[in-house]
Amino acid sequence: MSPCTLPFRIRTHWGVAAQPIRQCRARLVSPHCSFRRHLAVAADAQNLGKNDSNRSNPAGHPQGGTGSFQIFDREVKKLQRDRAALKVEESRKVDYLRDEVANRLVERLYDINRNYDHVLDLGAGACHLARALHKPHPPSGPFADRIKHLTCVELSSNYLTRDEDSYIMPPTSSMRLTRMARDEETVLFNPPSKGGELESNTFDAVISSGSLQWINDLPSVLASINRVLKPDSPFLCAMFGGDTLYELRTSLQLVNMDRLGGVSPHVSPLADVRDMGGLLQRTGFKLITVDVDDIIVDYLDVFALLKDLQAMGEANAILGRRKGLAGISKETLMGLDGVYRELHGRPEDGGSGDGTGIPATFRIIYMIGWKEGTGQQQPLKRGSGDVNLKEVLGGEGQDFGKK
Amino acid sequence: MPAPKIRPVDRLAQAVAKCPAESTAYGKCIVADFHNVHKDKCLSEFQVLQACIQKHMGKR
Repeated sequence: MSPCTLPFRIRTHWGVAAQPIRQCRARLVSPHCSFRRHLAVAADAQNLGKNDSNRSNPAGHPQGGTGSFQIFDREVKKLQRDRAALKVEESRKVDYLRDEVANRLVERLYDINRNYDHVLDLGAGACHLARALHKPHPPSGPFADRIKHLTCVELSSNYLTRDEDSYIMPPTSSMRLTRMARDEETVLFNPPSKGGELESNTFDAVISSGSLQWINDLPSVLASINRVLKPDSPFLCAMFGGDTLYELRTSLQLVNMDRLGGVSPHVSPLADVRDMGGLLQRTGFKLITVDVDDIIVDYLDVFALLKDLQAMGEANAILGRRKGLAGISKETLMGLDGVYRELHGRPEDGGSGDGTGIPATFRIIYMIGWKEGTGQQQPLKRGSGDVNLKEVLGGEGQDFGKK
Repeated sequence: MPAPKIRPVDRLAQAVAKCPAESTAYGKCIVADFHNVHKDKCLSEFQVLQACIQKHMGKR
């Protein structure tokens, strides 16, 4: 079936209405609509009383793709996730964010009226997407009924195998679940003829939820995803980007300026919405849809936020970060809460909190791209239009440029 | 059964929570002119906050 017959729901950039996700730890408030242009951030929850000075130099690690730019330390990211997943209860408590993102991604899957034989989940975490796929969705039943085989790829084997199959899906489920603990940055890169594992044109869909923000060489990974997809198959992705955690980033900068006299990368550079559209296009995807959701979570204090991020395995893994005990210095931690509250804690300051807790924004970029295939909807040729835009838009036309 | 181990950062968090006035004063000082923050801009406020935190850190 060609995708042109499938209606995509149109969404504004401030997205769908939020639903309560966890009763006590986090409260979702309605997504805000302001559009800020900061480079976004991921948090440094690392080194909260931990010493990582015994880690090896990350420069020697095998890195994936062809890119020369290395921003993130994949080996450290793996350790962080391995470590976080060891505390199963703690780790499950902070599933609220990934579950919410996964649920919203599955909502988008329902927009495509298809059945899938083999689906790849890239960066599966603890198979959050598999769990979201099994959520009841009356009247049509869970989406997993439409998938025969789901392959979950995740960097950290501990994280991937944190939950038993029985925790993820009911025993009656007909879906087959395969787990592969591989680095999602490299696993797709080569076909088997060149020492890789996955054939080209293998999957009927590739989905990825909350993981691509730690990829160093996004263009090569996206191109690899395009390679393993069958023609005319969709790639659906949700990743943290844009203004994610801008509150924490700005507060950390201010306190570090005062206490240390300079700033340190506690927060990773994340992709912007416009970048992602361009990237998808560049890597050969067609019929691209990109939209954005803000999830704002209220935390009791900044320590609760940092601890949750650490428990999610989302601690800082930038190569140039401060290492050892000084990840976030003790003095910075002392002052951070007060500054965060002053800067973002109250509605009148542009924050969304009510003065008691602190808000943390997670901006999620949802992307859908299709691998090129026959029968796909194509744009018309240039100059083939037979309606004058002036007539459609009204006015004299020349006003249009001034607005 | 031994008492669960308290992470140092949790003790710090508890101590900070006991110094809301000092914490707010430090925050206000920084945010008052946040385009022009430099080293030790709010040193006196920080020292008050630090003293308060250390006082509460001491009591285990």
